[in-house]
Amino acid sequence: MERSFAKEVQSLKLGEGETFEGEGILAVTKAALQAGVSYVGGYQGSPVSHLVDVLSEAKEIMDEYGVHLEICANEAGAAAMLGASINYPIRGLVTWKSVVGTNVASDALSNLGSVGVVGGAVAVIGEDYGEGASIIQERSHAFAMKSSIWLMDPRPNLTTMVDTVEKAFELSEASNAPVMVMLRILACHVQGRFTARDNKMPKISRRNKLQTPDHNLMRIALPPNTYAQEKNKFEQRMPAAKRFIVEQGLNETFDGDMEDVGIITQGGLYNTVLRALDRVGLADLYGTSRVPIHVLNVTYPLVDEQLAEFCAGKKHVLVVEEGNPEYIEEHINSALRKADIQAVVHGKNVLPMAGQYTAEVVQTGVAKWVELVAPEGADTDRAGAVPEEMFTINGKAVAHLGNPVPPRPPTFCTGCPERPVFSAIKLMERELGPTHISCDIGCHTFSALAPFNLGNTVLGYGLGLASSTGIAPSFGKRVISVMGDGGFWHNGMTTGVASSIFNKDDSVLIVMKNGYTSATGWQFLPSSPNKGNFEDSKMSIERALRTLGVKWQRKVRTYNVSKMVKTLKEAMTTAQDGLKVIIAESECMLAKQRRVKAERAERLKAGKRDVRPRFGIDDDVCTGDHSCIRLSGCPSLTIKPSTDMLRTDPKAHVNQGCVGCGLCGEVSHAAILCPSFYKAEIVSNPSKLELWLSGIRQKVITAWLTPEAVRLNGVHEGEAAEPADAQKAA
Amino acid sequence: MAARKQSTAKGEVPVKILIAAMGGEGGGVLTSWIVEAARSQDLPVQATSIPGVAQRTGATTYYIEIVPTPYSKLKDKTPVLDLYPAPGDIDLMIATELLETGRVIEKGFVNPDRTTLIASTHRVYSLAEKMDMGDGRYEGEKVLEAAKHIAKRSILFDMDRAAQDAGSIINSVILGAMAGTGILPITPEVFEQGIKDAGKAVKSNLAGFAAGRAYAEGKVVEARPKTKRAAAKSKAPKLEGAAKALRERIERDYKKALQPIVMEAAGRCLDFQDEKYAALYLDRLDTVRETKGADGGIVQETARHLGLRMAYEDVIRVAQFKTRASRFERVRGEVGATPDQLVRVTEFLKPGPEEFAQVLPRFIGGPVSRWADRNPDKARKLHFGMHVRTDTIGGFLRLRMMAGARRFRRMGYRYGEEQTAIERWLDLIRRAAARDKKLAREVIECARLIKGYGDTHKRGTTNFARITEQLIEPAIEGGPVTAADIAKARAAALADPEGNALDTAFAEIAGVPAGEGAQAAE
Repeated sequence: MERSFAKEVQSLKLGEGETFEGEGILAVTKAALQAGVSYVGGYQGSPVSHLVDVLSEAKEIMDEYGVHLEICANEAGAAAMLGASINYPIRGLVTWKSVVGTNVASDALSNLGSVGVVGGAVAVIGEDYGEGASIIQERSHAFAMKSSIWLMDPRPNLTTMVDTVEKAFELSEASNAPVMVMLRILACHVQGRFTARDNKMPKISRRNKLQTPDHNLMRIALPPNTYAQEKNKFEQRMPAAKRFIVEQGLNETFDGDMEDVGIITQGGLYNTVLRALDRVGLADLYGTSRVPIHVLNVTYPLVDEQLAEFCAGKKHVLVVEEGNPEYIEEHINSALRKADIQAVVHGKNVLPMAGQYTAEVVQTGVAKWVELVAPEGADTDRAGAVPEEMFTINGKAVAHLGNPVPPRPPTFCTGCPERPVFSAIKLMERELGPTHISCDIGCHTFSALAPFNLGNTVLGYGLGLASSTGIAPSFGKRVISVMGDGGFWHNGMTTGVASSIFNKDDSVLIVMKNGYTSATGWQFLPSSPNKGNFEDSKMSIERALRTLGVKWQRKVRTYNVSKMVKTLKEAMTTAQDGLKVIIAESECMLAKQRRVKAERAERLKAGKRDVRPRFGIDDDVCTGDHSCIRLSGCPSLTIKPSTDMLRTDPKAHVNQGCVGCGLCGEVSHAAILCPSFYKAEIVSNPSKLELWLSGIRQKVITAWLTPEAVRLNGVHEGEAAEPADAQKAA
Repeated sequence: MAARKQSTAKGEVPVKILIAAMGGEGGGVLTSWIVEAARSQDLPVQATSIPGVAQRTGATTYYIEIVPTPYSKLKDKTPVLDLYPAPGDIDLMIATELLETGRVIEKGFVNPDRTTLIASTHRVYSLAEKMDMGDGRYEGEKVLEAAKHIAKRSILFDMDRAAQDAGSIINSVILGAMAGTGILPITPEVFEQGIKDAGKAVKSNLAGFAAGRAYAEGKVVEARPKTKRAAAKSKAPKLEGAAKALRERIERDYKKALQPIVMEAAGRCLDFQDEKYAALYLDRLDTVRETKGADGGIVQETARHLGLRMAYEDVIRVAQFKTRASRFERVRGEVGATPDQLVRVTEFLKPGPEEFAQVLPRFIGGPVSRWADRNPDKARKLHFGMHVRTDTIGGFLRLRMMAGARRFRRMGYRYGEEQTAIERWLDLIRRAAARDKKLAREVIECARLIKGYGDTHKRGTTNFARITEQLIEPAIEGGPVTAADIAKARAAALADPEGNALDTAFAEIAGVPAGEGAQAAE
């Protein structure tokens, strides 16, 4: 794993009245223990990767309570785990990244939503929407609505988040329905504190096992029961849920003196709304607001009576609802109409239809609304000044900067083993011409960006190969698809490979085998290195492929660019029909470096011999055309200002971040680029024999060295006057 | 803009801190230091981060709010802190790199009325800047100017260097600078204690902290990079023989302002071949200097590019560079080897028919080279990869012998080709100078296209030839083509290796027939 939570998980042991201080996602784990959870599971993905990591590292505590942890193969597996709570009164919590994870989980969720549960079933979903999100932008809200799963969206402070998770179990049990708790990116990562309660020992667990199975046809999604279940959702479960929401006060109303207006907000946006009111002078830091605020900590189902009660007597109500469609705003309109309440509902008229509701967006929207409805006693000038102030600052900035600041898009890490594969595809395409490339989800999706610009579609996780099957027969060349080992085990093995073999499709698949789900922080996979040995894994992709019937299979070390180019060319041109699979294998460099660095530090400490490779570029040989960068894009392969008085373009340069992966040398060879690169191997604590040999070499070399250049103006290299000065002379 | 009162009641305001870092810089660690320090003082604090997809290499931001009143004095009141930074509403803005500084200014996070900006002046180039075929660097000066003008107070220094000097990581330098501003409701001593309590790399972190703090407290001001000009002037060159004569000739014939560049270039030709070759350089430059209409700028730029063109990079030249004492020292320095470490150096060479043709006599080299041009795929297969260990006797001597082949260079095929091309280019310059100074400058500047090795070099040469045939010649002959057109085509040739921009540029330049796409896409 990328980050260790060994220290943090100790706070999961805190008892009644003690103060918990830490990250949101860790607090959620604590909440589950406080709720007496029996089983937990999930599939990693930002922003809830840390939740999976925390659960893995909390094994000792989990064992103490008999809690079972399942690292699921995918989100569908995680959602299906909740099946335990259909028949038995045991509590379970699962987690995944949403909306994509909810998409994958939706089959199980529909079934779960149909039959209902008796034990508390909670899914914590990390809503990856907005700035920093890595996926397609959609709301998870619709899933709750279509499957009758209740959706909670707590105020983003640790106390409310923890209370909400605990209440989610109770709500689930009180209404016999599953519950999703939605946490936005920033809430997952928020550092805060709450007062802990004791953890609860689950009644049924690995320590206290069930003896008799429950058989009840009403708990199985089979007709004709499905028809009864469908009715049951709306006749029994939803009314029960609404009752629980009201009785327990899950939604909160904060009163204010401006009674003819009000704001209804999703819980997760409350802090931002309050700050927006603060900025127009209508609220303070401690939650006192002049505008009454109704906070929906439960966004589905909505309780019409509660909404009517809040809006009664108001002239204007603002609904702050992130994303589209605006389900909540529409529902409020309909509820108020039915109750014959005449308050004007504002929302998407002052706030944007789509996209993240950042501070800037909400502050501008709230200010616009205050200006528009002019509540009595509000300073509308001040409201108007908010967007103006932002605009003025922005204008000044643009005036000073001139050109827009170039973006810094994400790319492969220094020494990433996936980069060379795309260098190889580039070189293969030089000879065979470009072809259609179906990408997949994972670090390798960055191939679609500069400098490679390789990739034509991305359809979803593990779907790289599957998404090529429609176009492959109609494309003039063999198409290529890319899939990571993460995607392979997630579903690509069946959806992609098995289906392709079954259909006798003719295409080329590259499986990136780096040993982990690297993009989410190196969680383990079925084919992860066994005890740190990359060559060995308990389950193997190669064996799986063979069993599935792949006839043409090659394994290539990714850094061997020449061999990769050759193998790609063979795959593209061989007469062999069917699926051709290249396993591009090399360990994730981040994971490897962490291990290698520790080993090196130990060797050096013990005074043992160590060899560290690094690459470099000869300044005087480099002509500054940067073609090497266009075939690599490695963060450590950069540029530096030229010290050459004659050649002013910046020179390529390898910085201290270089891990010596070898790609630079391989590419300059395979692409016949230029002779500027050199590999330097730094030998620490060399042996006596080495020192002796080196001494002899030095003597001979010193005797035959090429004479140094004579500089007529007596200035030595690196000291040349700045070219700008010479320019001035002109 | 009037300073805004923040809250309706009591005027209590949290301190808002935004940190714009890049993935892998340890912004998370820095944030946790601040959070821990606030917690140790019983101050309400909230922090969050947006790593997102950019977790590896892209921009990453951290946002922190600290309430200056301790929990003990708040009684039952609970502050509601925001998770999002708002433009114009930041007290302390940190940016760990110059381009990222520009980005936060662009996004409006730096408010002239309240924001203190701590920013590093060092550059980590973005991919777009690095990929450029010429010089695509963003103008950092503008960001510095904006930072100075827009922030209420700006503390700008090279944090990367400050960290290196202190032997610490960049984080502790930033933390020191933050503490030194006096904006945080936490004293520097508390942070120092935190570093000590954490118990990791205490000494270096404290050194970094002190360095950052000194900058923020105004005790240290960023030293401008030392210019070496003074040093250069004071160093009287001791030259003998050929070098002395060349120097004297340049001092006699060229204006003082032009001398440094002419000397540099002539010296390079001397190093490349011999005294005669350096004299040839000066003879050639003299013809331009003596051309009517050639001003100082034309002579200077010709001097620059002529030097580069005459000292072209063939296998002999590369071998010469790689077998010098200074080169071995530079490698050791660049990889940071200490005297007790050994350094093994491997060169990556992959010569093919073209490279051999360069050094072979004209009557063999010519046909070989032309064959390779016609059959690039076959020629590519004939390249053979060599990993030469230049720290071993065998490997070193192989390259040393190649460097020694310098004496036979004049007999080689490439030498002749280069000299013909140079003479033709000089002829164009002289003809253009007689007609229009601007045009002459463009003709000279087009030499920038010719650089690199292998395919890159071939592409540059092809583009240069295309611009010469279709734009420069007609322009000199008085056609409708202008100097601006040539500049446009030159920029386009450097815009993308596939030659798409050049095709577009040609299509847009009036009076020029649409040409074929540039050869050899990258």
